[in-house]
Amino acid sequence: MIDYFSIALTHGLILLACWRLLAREDIDREGAAQEKPKRPWLKQESAEDA
Amino acid sequence: MRDLVLLAFIAAIVVMGFKRPFLWVLLYIYVDIVIPQKVGYGIITSISLSMLCFIAAFAGYLLLDDKKGSRFRLRQGLIVALLVWCGYTTLTADFPEAAWTKWDWVWKSLVFAAFLPLTLRTKLRLEAAALIMVLSAASIIISAGIKTVLSGGGYGTLVSLVQDNSGLYEGSTLSTVAIAMIPLTMWVAKHGTVFTERKLAMVFAVALVFAALLVPIGTQTRTGLICIAVLAVLVLRSVKYRFVYAGLAGVALLVALPFLPASYTERMSTITEYQADESASTRVAVWGWTLDYVQDHPLGGGFDAFLGNSFTYNTRTTVEEGNTERVVYQEVTDEGRAYHSAYFEVLGEQGFPGFAIWLALHVLGLLHMQRIRRRYKDSEDTDGKRWYSLATALQNGHMVYLVGAMFVGVGYQPFMFMLLGLQIAFYSLMRREWAGDETVNRPWLRGQAAQSAPA
Repeated sequence: MIDYFSIALTHGLILLACWRLLAREDIDREGAAQEKPKRPWLKQESAEDA
Repeated sequence: MRDLVLLAFIAAIVVMGFKRPFLWVLLYIYVDIVIPQKVGYGIITSISLSMLCFIAAFAGYLLLDDKKGSRFRLRQGLIVALLVWCGYTTLTADFPEAAWTKWDWVWKSLVFAAFLPLTLRTKLRLEAAALIMVLSAASIIISAGIKTVLSGGGYGTLVSLVQDNSGLYEGSTLSTVAIAMIPLTMWVAKHGTVFTERKLAMVFAVALVFAALLVPIGTQTRTGLICIAVLAVLVLRSVKYRFVYAGLAGVALLVALPFLPASYTERMSTITEYQADESASTRVAVWGWTLDYVQDHPLGGGFDAFLGNSFTYNTRTTVEEGNTERVVYQEVTDEGRAYHSAYFEVLGEQGFPGFAIWLALHVLGLLHMQRIRRRYKDSEDTDGKRWYSLATALQNGHMVYLVGAMFVGVGYQPFMFMLLGLQIAFYSLMRREWAGDETVNRPWLRGQAAQSAPA
């Protein structure tokens, strides 16, 4: 049970980290402008787009 | 079930890697630390996952990745030299069979440490590697920490994820690495750009540090306790209010003492009575043996050369009989006792040349981190502060490892070699950045000498 909790938590975080890294241009090119992924489903960001 | 989850996890990263091949390097870091082949039960155990990821990481870099910014540095050269030397001593080893078994994992650890800095050519990559190292080790540490709280643990009985005595799953190694990793954990949480949810990250980091501090208690290793003490002193260098920190540490210790399992406090109280303890007496005897051994074999005896040792010594114990105490000496003969110290391990196995390379690798690492610390010491901008604390974190972790290594045979521990890889990459990145500020004066190069010559 404890092992499952530990595995789930850390592996989930590693996956999330990798997912976020996918969207970061500066992982391959130093100083590349950080492109912010569009997340129009978030209220705040859809308001900004409008 | 575990197998499927782990395989799905690995497959997901492999797929993402097609967009960013660097993720395969991260995947190898994960596989090398957690060893999922051992965590699972079924099909996963039959796949040579480590080798596949190793190849993927290399192929991804060589074939698909940009090489801009990759530099080969002096310390990578030292690692390669150590690798070649280890190869030579393996060929001429005292115990070829044992030596080849150890070579099987040592070469991978060294090759990856020399290769890692080449791939970490941007700051984000450096951070990502640090993050994945922390999270991977966390999967073992969190489990060990919780089990310690629930069961109290025990020397050689605390099982974290895997019932195994290799890699990070060995008690003393895990204690050393768990403590050595604490500074890096805090840095990732404080200065990371991947997880920017600061509060959540700090909560996770503090919980992880707590679990890491529990590991030496759970595994009941004396080395871990020494590592904690070293780290506590090192942190004094960078805290603002030293007296408050020292006071709080004292209070924490007082509060924690009653909660420590009795078996733990008993075992720790033997830390000063090394004469009464067989495990400690053997260590001293093995170290003496190693020193004699290298006098006769200055080029080392190859991996696991300790198998050739044998010695007889006396252990001293005090026996209480009624009101009197009697000291009893008992003769013990031991054969093939392991080094229980990375320094003697490397010295005995690789002789003076190998030991010199190994030591240079570590000393240079500490010096390079110190150089970065000096440069950003009074820096006010966020970047400067960020690099200052990373250099401090890597240096503190390294110091903890070097002290822990006095009592544990972790001379070629892959995790620690990855930490060296991080240092090399970090120093290389910084040097590139500094080179942008000023051109390094190298008058021995013809081109630059001509430029600087007076007209």
